Amino acid sequence: MSANIIDRRRINGPQRSVEPIYPKQPTSTSSAGRPDGRAQNAVRPIFVKTGPLSPQASSAACPSGSAYYEQGKIRISCAIYGPRQGRKSNTRMGAFDCDFKYAPFSCSWKRSHMRTSDEKEIALMLEQAISPAFVWRRTRRPASTLLSRDGKAATISAAINCISAALVDAGIELYDSVAACSVALSGSQWIYDCTQEEEDKAECSLMMARMPSADEVTYLLQHGKTSPAQTEQAIQASAGVCTQVYAVICHYLQASLEQ
Amino acid sequence: MASLILSPAEHDYILRGVESGFRADGRGSLDRREVTLRTGMISQANGSARCRIGNLGVGTDVLVGIKAEVNSWTPGDNVPETSGTIVCNVECSPSAAQEFEGRGAEELNIELTQLLDRIFNGPQSGIDFEKLCIIPKQAYWVLHVDALVLDVKGGIIDALVWATRAALMSTKLPRVVVESIPDEDGVMQAEFDVVDDPEDMTELAGAENMPVSVTFSQIGRRFVVDASEQEEAVAQARMTIAVSPNMEICAVQKGGVLRGFSPALLAEIMQTSLKIAREELDKFNKHYAEAKNMTDGRADEPSTGSTFLVPF
Repeated sequence: MSANIIDRRRINGPQRSVEPIYPKQPTSTSSAGRPDGRAQNAVRPIFVKTGPLSPQASSAACPSGSAYYEQGKIRISCAIYGPRQGRKSNTRMGAFDCDFKYAPFSCSWKRSHMRTSDEKEIALMLEQAISPAFVWRRTRRPASTLLSRDGKAATISAAINCISAALVDAGIELYDSVAACSVALSGSQWIYDCTQEEEDKAECSLMMARMPSADEVTYLLQHGKTSPAQTEQAIQASAGVCTQVYAVICHYLQASLEQ
Repeated sequence: MASLILSPAEHDYILRGVESGFRADGRGSLDRREVTLRTGMISQANGSARCRIGNLGVGTDVLVGIKAEVNSWTPGDNVPETSGTIVCNVECSPSAAQEFEGRGAEELNIELTQLLDRIFNGPQSGIDFEKLCIIPKQAYWVLHVDALVLDVKGGIIDALVWATRAALMSTKLPRVVVESIPDEDGVMQAEFDVVDDPEDMTELAGAENMPVSVTFSQIGRRFVVDASEQEEAVAQARMTIAVSPNMEICAVQKGGVLRGFSPALLAEIMQTSLKIAREELDKFNKHYAEAKNMTDGRADEPSTGSTFLVPF
């Protein structure tokens, strides 16, 4: 928490804020299924819209491409600016720069306007996950803003998917779209695409980003302890889910091209 | 990581060499460079360790210091009610590489900090966090792990994890006495008192269950363990796998922006990591025992000599 940095440009709320304590909702037990009634291997429905930030009055600062992505309670918007001239002149290849920000109202506790190290790390992860997809990498700057989040690993996967859609909208050459998904271990089963409360209860979560046509895993992150066999299982499971997510995104992209 | 400029010929040499199974310095693709480990050299810290990978004065050098602090529990913290926590911080010293000057190392610091946090802060690290709680819902120990990277010549993650592991294993916490005292309303309140006796220290419970990490760098179609500086400049992607002594996988993280891994390579890397981790743990225990003997034996002598590693 950046309690020591005082933001003089905005009206500051109280230094510390605590989520109100709600009466506990009766949660369904594990035998009945997941709290929101999905099957164990069902991913939340995805909605993608490309080009919501299309050029308007001022063409000076319009993004080359943009996308809005919704998956369950996760809502992300992403804008791509570029290709632009690089800052450093001594790099032989281009660079892909990513800025990730949680909106202040998106999490259980109010987030500060300053970018915290958590968000910077996620930006790094997004860069690492998407960079392998570029053909020639020139400087580019996607800015993805998270409007509402639900489950950390799921959010990062959603951000990756959103950026992929936005890159296609911007018309940038890619080897393949990157699709991502997350799974979590609860008991001895892997559940796909967890919400925040499922992730809190899970012992371990794994997130994978993949380029299905190129058959390359561009990002893999495991948080928590498992046996090697379980990790193996999770990797295969998430590879399958990534392919499904990829199909959904392609479907939306196709639909947007036909309009 | 710190990048080195290689000529296309060197680039090609390393690439093809790795694909044919040999490396520029003669190691096998799964061999690690020589490691030197020293512990307990920082007298003000609760635990400390210094790890250097590579010899002859050229290598990756990491210094880790641990300070323990008592924190009061507030409902807004991320810490559960009955446990303590670890806060990691990695800083790459600007003298380690030219691009670390000023704010150049910021991104790398963040990445390494979060990686260490992912490996050590939580049930996957094997440390008994419940023992770090002094009074539930009131006070708990926070261990501040501060890592300083003094020199970077490839293989920084493994050096970091080795040094952190050694530092945590050598950490000594002062003993705490908890008493229940009735306050003015007659309600029993728990109060604690830290015993200020340098001889009466406890070690960290569960420290020997901590994981070791193995970092694989993908070069061409094959991978190597413990990439040297030149190999890292050629490497296209990196995968770090943390394995506990019980052969469980505690963390997996991919790094590097140039490429992804094919599923077959990924499976191979997972299998190999287990095998290597077993050897790593043996090596670590041996080095740690040596380091401990060195510091214990020299309790009366001034300890400046022990901060310097292998003379060359």
